[in-house]
Amino acid sequence: MNKSFKNLATLFGAGALTFSSASGELPNFNNVTVTVVGDAGQNMESLNKYADDFTKAGVTIKQVGATFTGLYDKLKTDFVAGSGDYDMVIFYPSYIGDFAGNGYLTPLDDLMKKTPASIWDPKLDEVEPPYREIYCKWGGKVYALPYDGDVLELYYRKDFFQDPAEKAAFQQKYTRDLVPPVTWKEWLEVAEFFTRKQGDTLAGKKLERPYYGVAEYGARGFSYGWFLCRFASAGGVYFDENMNPKINTPAAVEGLQNMVDSLKFCPPDVLSYGYEELKNAFLNGDVAMVVQWSDVGKKTADPQLSKVVGKVGFALVPGTQVNGRVQHRTPMPVGRVLAVPATSKNKEAAYWVAKYLSLDKSPITVSANWSGQDPYRISHFADPSHYKFSDEVSRKDYLDATEANLKNGFPDLNIPGAAQYIDALDLAVNKALSGEADPKAALDGAAEDWKGITERLGKDNQKKFWTEALSSYRAAGLLQ
Amino acid sequence: MSGVEERNFARLMVTPAVGLLFLVTIAPLLFSVVVSFTNLQFGSPQPMRWNGLDNYVNLTLRDTRFLSALWRTILLVTGGVITQTVLGFAVASLLFRIRRGRTVLLSAILIPSVISQVVAGWQGRMIFNASYGPLNDMLARLGIKGPAWLASQQTALTAIFLTDTWQWTPFLALIILAALQSLPQDIVEAARLDGAYGWSMFRFVTLPLIVPVTGIGILLRGVDLFKTFDLVYILTQGGPGNSSETLTFFTYVQGFKFFNPSYASAMSFIQLVLVTIAAKMFLAFIRRQRSF
Repeated sequence: MNKSFKNLATLFGAGALTFSSASGELPNFNNVTVTVVGDAGQNMESLNKYADDFTKAGVTIKQVGATFTGLYDKLKTDFVAGSGDYDMVIFYPSYIGDFAGNGYLTPLDDLMKKTPASIWDPKLDEVEPPYREIYCKWGGKVYALPYDGDVLELYYRKDFFQDPAEKAAFQQKYTRDLVPPVTWKEWLEVAEFFTRKQGDTLAGKKLERPYYGVAEYGARGFSYGWFLCRFASAGGVYFDENMNPKINTPAAVEGLQNMVDSLKFCPPDVLSYGYEELKNAFLNGDVAMVVQWSDVGKKTADPQLSKVVGKVGFALVPGTQVNGRVQHRTPMPVGRVLAVPATSKNKEAAYWVAKYLSLDKSPITVSANWSGQDPYRISHFADPSHYKFSDEVSRKDYLDATEANLKNGFPDLNIPGAAQYIDALDLAVNKALSGEADPKAALDGAAEDWKGITERLGKDNQKKFWTEALSSYRAAGLLQ
Repeated sequence: MSGVEERNFARLMVTPAVGLLFLVTIAPLLFSVVVSFTNLQFGSPQPMRWNGLDNYVNLTLRDTRFLSALWRTILLVTGGVITQTVLGFAVASLLFRIRRGRTVLLSAILIPSVISQVVAGWQGRMIFNASYGPLNDMLARLGIKGPAWLASQQTALTAIFLTDTWQWTPFLALIILAALQSLPQDIVEAARLDGAYGWSMFRFVTLPLIVPVTGIGILLRGVDLFKTFDLVYILTQGGPGNSSETLTFFTYVQGFKFFNPSYASAMSFIQLVLVTIAAKMFLAFIRRQRSF
């Protein structure tokens, strides 16, 4: 009886949907509840901001928040148990191989083709290729829609870099111009230059507390992303074609050593720095440079959050000299995509909510400083009018730098088991940073762990997934 | 109703409760015992197969991460229990001597113990912040350069220990205070008449009398400390490196990050055996003290 009633309601809902679509308004799903799970806070804020639109479409959103580092555990537990508690999931796309590969997600291709296109087409053709090819697809099918175009970016204090006294002092010490570092070697030099003791002078002002050249993401969880900046730009890839780990090559060890060396110019507690601490160190004006996610750029322009409004420059994340030229590869750790679990009871409504966030409202979301979302569509870069910066130069610099980093993007590992591989790598990076192991020993240990993970998950299968991942990297233009 | 009928009726009445208990407690426990002897890993294409004692052998003989986590946990339990008992006794003794306002003071002291561990963890994060935290600020005023508590291998576990001690010392103080208040006054008076004061009164009268109650408190704290998870999760995530990773945190990583339930189950059972042995030994020690 209840089921029949639901079917009838769905039928009426579909009718209403067709009618409302034709009128160019929002669809009407006839009062369905869509339960959404994601990492709580700024990354789910858009669900509140656009709540009225969802209500008008007959959709009530129920939010379930997870922690930034606990999202995978929460989702996978639900998927393994098959409880079907969620209709839409917001997750980091490195897990797409795990989730789609294990059949936990609904393929979206058919839903995307429904008419009218204004309601259903997510316009993936105008999504930047790395996000479209690597983060949304698995096995040739679309399983997710982009929501957050995370990419790292170099932020620096342009007021200090333009200060005549600082420029002269740098020129005298390093016999070159003071400019944002282009290589990781230069990163260390600039970091050293700006690290000052309490009582020293910086840009003509006496320092009341120590000042640091840089800060790194030092806490467990995502410190691997800051290692990947060095590793990837030196030409590193995760595995060779036979699934042998390549994370402990001499270039990788050198990259990790660079990160360890950088700690000398960081605040003393940098190993406890996660996203918030790293962001605040820069926004509070405590460090001269950081590599951070691209959403931080928007926050630098908000006087409520930032003490450095109008003083920030944006640039490509440093690279590594390879065969006589500097190669940049900017990691895209985290990111967020929207997907519909295979067990969802409201697939159509959930898909529409995802599409609405991914396309219709995305220009507002990715440009707002209340959100953690970053641009991922070509149109996001083409129309800068939504972005709030103190001046035109900053706005343009931010978008140019973000796009340039994206064009050099290096994806997170996204094959099944990615969470385990990444955790083992992150632990190794953290061991090296804390001095528990030297970079070579730490990365050798991680490589051994990776071999074990591959064996446990089945080498042949993993090799097949990795080959597929490599072809998606190529399709996105990230590998030759 | 005959005796047999009465017994059968009683059995019938408790059957639903026992059935429910079996379903929600015994069955999962038995399932995890079985799983701990297999290679089950969610997401792996390999079929589940019998692994014998492989998981247990790996853990106890080869897995250095597990053994380090075990060592760290033992340090945390031992250090935590001793410190909290000594401080708890000191606080309880002071409260015992106070006649007016004791209840108000006790309620205030107990606040840390009634807040959730997650909240305590977040407070700890702020207190131990090397740049802006009040602890290092106070140390700086005394001319001491505070360490980067949560960012250093040498101090991360100490920060967890200090947060736990701050939170749970009041609990032991409460238990010890209750024990002190229930001391039989006739025995105390008799001991005084026999010339027992100070250390001799404490060692030969007070201590043996409060041991049974205090021992239970210590045992509960010890088991709780062995299971420390929330503070590790909030304060350090087991880092830097894995310098503050405890057994339960490592079990969580295996079970809910790597989705390796067979290995995580084996770890859980090793912990269960260790806690049971330690608890038995401690209770035997308490019994010996009582009969002193």
